[in-house]
Amino acid sequence: MKKEFKYVGRTFPPDHGVRKVTGDLDYCCDVKMPNMLYAKLLLSPIPHGIVKQINTSRAEKVPGVIKIFSHFNSPNKMFSTYRIIPGQQMCFEDETLFAERVKYVGDRVAAVVATSLAAAREAVSLIDIEYEELPALLTPEEALNNREVKIQPRGNVVHEYVVDVGDVPPTTEDCITMESETQTQRIHHAAIEPHGCIAYYDTAGKLTIWTPTQSVYGVRTVVAELFDMNYSDVRVIKLPIGGSFGGKQEFLFEPVTSFMAMETKRPVKLILDREECIIHTRVRPPVKTRIKTTVTKSGKLLELIADSTLDSGAYAGASPDYVATLSQKVCKLYRIPHYRHSGRAVYTNTVRSGGSRGWGAPEIITAVEIHMDQLAKKLGMDPVEFRLQNLVHPYDMDPVVQLSLGDARVIECLQKGAEAFRWKERYNSQDKQGRYRRGVGVACGAHKNGMYGGFIDSTSMVLKMNEDGSLNLNASIHDVGCGIGTVMKIIIAEVLDIDPALITVTEADTEYTGYDPGVYGSRVTYVVGACAKKVAEMLKEQILENAALILGKPKEYLRVEKGCVYTVGEAEKRVISYQEIAEKAIRENFRSLNAAYTYHSSSNPGSYSVQFAEVVVDTVTGLTSVTDFLAVSDIGRALNRGMIEGQFQGAVQMGIGYALCEEVRIDEKGRPLNNSFANYHMLTALDMPDVKVLLIEHEGDEGPFGAKSIGEISTVPTAAAVINAVNNALGTSLSDLPVTPDKILAALAEQKRVRVC
Amino acid sequence: MLIEFKVNGKSYQIDVCPSMRLIDLLRDELGLTGTKEGCGEGECGSCTVIMDEKAVNSCLVLAPQVDGKEIITVEGLAEDGQLDSLQQKFLEHSAVECGFCTPGMLMSAKALLMKNPHPTDEEIRTAIAGNLCRCAGYAKIVAAIKAAADSTDQ
Ligand code: FES
Ligand code: FES
Repeated sequence: MKKEFKYVGRTFPPDHGVRKVTGDLDYCCDVKMPNMLYAKLLLSPIPHGIVKQINTSRAEKVPGVIKIFSHFNSPNKMFSTYRIIPGQQMCFEDETLFAERVKYVGDRVAAVVATSLAAAREAVSLIDIEYEELPALLTPEEALNNREVKIQPRGNVVHEYVVDVGDVPPTTEDCITMESETQTQRIHHAAIEPHGCIAYYDTAGKLTIWTPTQSVYGVRTVVAELFDMNYSDVRVIKLPIGGSFGGKQEFLFEPVTSFMAMETKRPVKLILDREECIIHTRVRPPVKTRIKTTVTKSGKLLELIADSTLDSGAYAGASPDYVATLSQKVCKLYRIPHYRHSGRAVYTNTVRSGGSRGWGAPEIITAVEIHMDQLAKKLGMDPVEFRLQNLVHPYDMDPVVQLSLGDARVIECLQKGAEAFRWKERYNSQDKQGRYRRGVGVACGAHKNGMYGGFIDSTSMVLKMNEDGSLNLNASIHDVGCGIGTVMKIIIAEVLDIDPALITVTEADTEYTGYDPGVYGSRVTYVVGACAKKVAEMLKEQILENAALILGKPKEYLRVEKGCVYTVGEAEKRVISYQEIAEKAIRENFRSLNAAYTYHSSSNPGSYSVQFAEVVVDTVTGLTSVTDFLAVSDIGRALNRGMIEGQFQGAVQMGIGYALCEEVRIDEKGRPLNNSFANYHMLTALDMPDVKVLLIEHEGDEGPFGAKSIGEISTVPTAAAVINAVNNALGTSLSDLPVTPDKILAALAEQKRVRVC
Repeated sequence: MLIEFKVNGKSYQIDVCPSMRLIDLLRDELGLTGTKEGCGEGECGSCTVIMDEKAVNSCLVLAPQVDGKEIITVEGLAEDGQLDSLQQKFLEHSAVECGFCTPGMLMSAKALLMKNPHPTDEEIRTAIAGNLCRCAGYAKIVAAIKAAADSTDQ
């Protein structure tokens, strides 16, 4: 039965949309405060060494300089920028505000605070530093093999794990085994808004931080613990965010900016420039994965053994958890009787890795999906048919995390997508001759819906009806740019049948909005949205109860429609509006209309996307263009349709870049080579194919109206689909990302050589 | 040095340091913070404004180049509280996500429509090729610009 919705599934502009198109919305870089000071960081030019001496005498002479900080005049307490709640496991305290021993090019050595940014910048350029250089280990291989140099006192291995579930079933069929190796690279999140924050420490000892973060409560934890303050004396206010993609998940600059504010007793603002954003925030971790599978000749997977090494960079940050999540994706996608995954995160003297859209899924799924294509080829099977035999079914159990996958519709995504893309026809009619070679590729991806099963996954909110019938949702919303506030409005509007424009949604503020751990693990629509639905339902009950009192009718005989309460059974006669109810509730019933609830998630189904790419590769230049693209999503329920399509199209932009051109490379001296948008290449409007989006809607899971996450899953299979298309076009087995023209030409040359031999 | 210029129809005479960038002039001196800085090196387009009917990266323009010029920024698009059709279509077509690239996108689009009111998709894509968007993958933005062009037709 098809459900009719009034608001759900339509298209609404994002919260603050008007202010965004008029330029009126203030992002962190736009905020000015009286007496505000500007900070500029000095970052290490060497990958490993000791800061022996700092001479600031020239810098101090620059007019406007207020104070210069380094490890010589700041606390050396160790902390982790990753900790969201006190007591959280796997948070390694391995950094200080300013490094005494710098561990990568870009490590924080010093900072200047001045009355203008220009003065701070000039002063930074005049600081003289004496370093004692140490040998640098720039790759996980070097770090694992070198026993003398320890990047961190704990050694060079951040974390190791092994997951081993199931057994190889007995079979009478003939089997084959295959091995592959895939290397995915370091990429920059590239939110167009640079990172930054503002902090102020007032005369009463209260610290306020304004920041475009993914978790205000996380910022508070790290900062309050670091400075030994009461949590109630630290207030963190979420600012509008100009994109994040996981890059603003850790609490990167709030600690150091707070320290400078505490020392100067004036508001201090720190905004990074683009080079600093690339080398001094976080990058998607480079991961190398080897996979070995055993499969029957008819195409049934029996076993998958994977081993992954993740380059954590110079500090642990999110990497211990991140590396472990690599093992939690594959069994969400495929039925694998025996699955074993070993892995490790390794310190290197390079840019720090961190949370990045998809959290391990793009890395491991790229490796798995390139492998699956090669396996299908070896079996002589169509890659779609091969996958259909092995994908998970609705309500399968994920053997690794021991949770149901819920109404997992990946098979339906693949079938419907193959039809819409005309897969069979296009896959079988490829012209593989001539200069320009056309190929098609497919890949499947899996992700999750929240943190349930591994981490706290609750949220608290209050929904209030005002005296005029308008609504305020008081919640710790952290909009990361995709219109989370609007999604909450749509959910509430659907429950109460009220114009979403009458609802105001707060963003997170530790002083005034309820606890929410933040934007992680694709939890917002599924968990926070479910809470919004619950409070709206509770408020609806209150509305009906008050209407019942006012009307003297039992509430069972009342229903809501278009902001009014009607009596059931009577002709469509409006009885009483929300406005009248809200006003009378206060004036006559002595009640206020507000519903408060703390919601805990109790499931974590799989989210799926299957993507199809068509590419044309120029065999002379090695350039690849993606000429057609289809993204299919097991979304459950589309809440804000236009925004969902846009989010998919953006995710595909990121995924194609991952496949073909984006990379922060490190040279032999440890210096990042791609340190600006001039040499870090992302796809522009001219490079993007027409990305079609196909949404599979159903209602089997407990998200609001059946909705599941899309923010992360949308980018998970993209790179593999593109690379599989390139391999299909060229008959290659490229798996070292990004697949640049150089690598393509080298593979073609090798192909030629082998043919000649 | 003293320069004279117009921003969003208003005349200014300001004494500036010759090395000052147009983006700083707009944001710091005039308080027009709608123009954003995403890279400071002419690569992202988030600082795009219109100078004498041409879209320029305001992070690459220095104050002396502004002398005698007429600038339009994102703040100058809406008239009397009435959104420009581009702004309206950006909202209707989900072309705005985080919104940080939006002012620059709007100004590149506006400059295009000022000289070419009926652009093809290819011309639109070329006009915004210097504007990076990390959220929305451009398709919705192209559709919004197209819709704005069509709507001014009627
Ligand atoms: S800030 Fe001017 S082009 Fe990026
Ligand atoms: S909307 Fe976020 S960068 Fe374009």
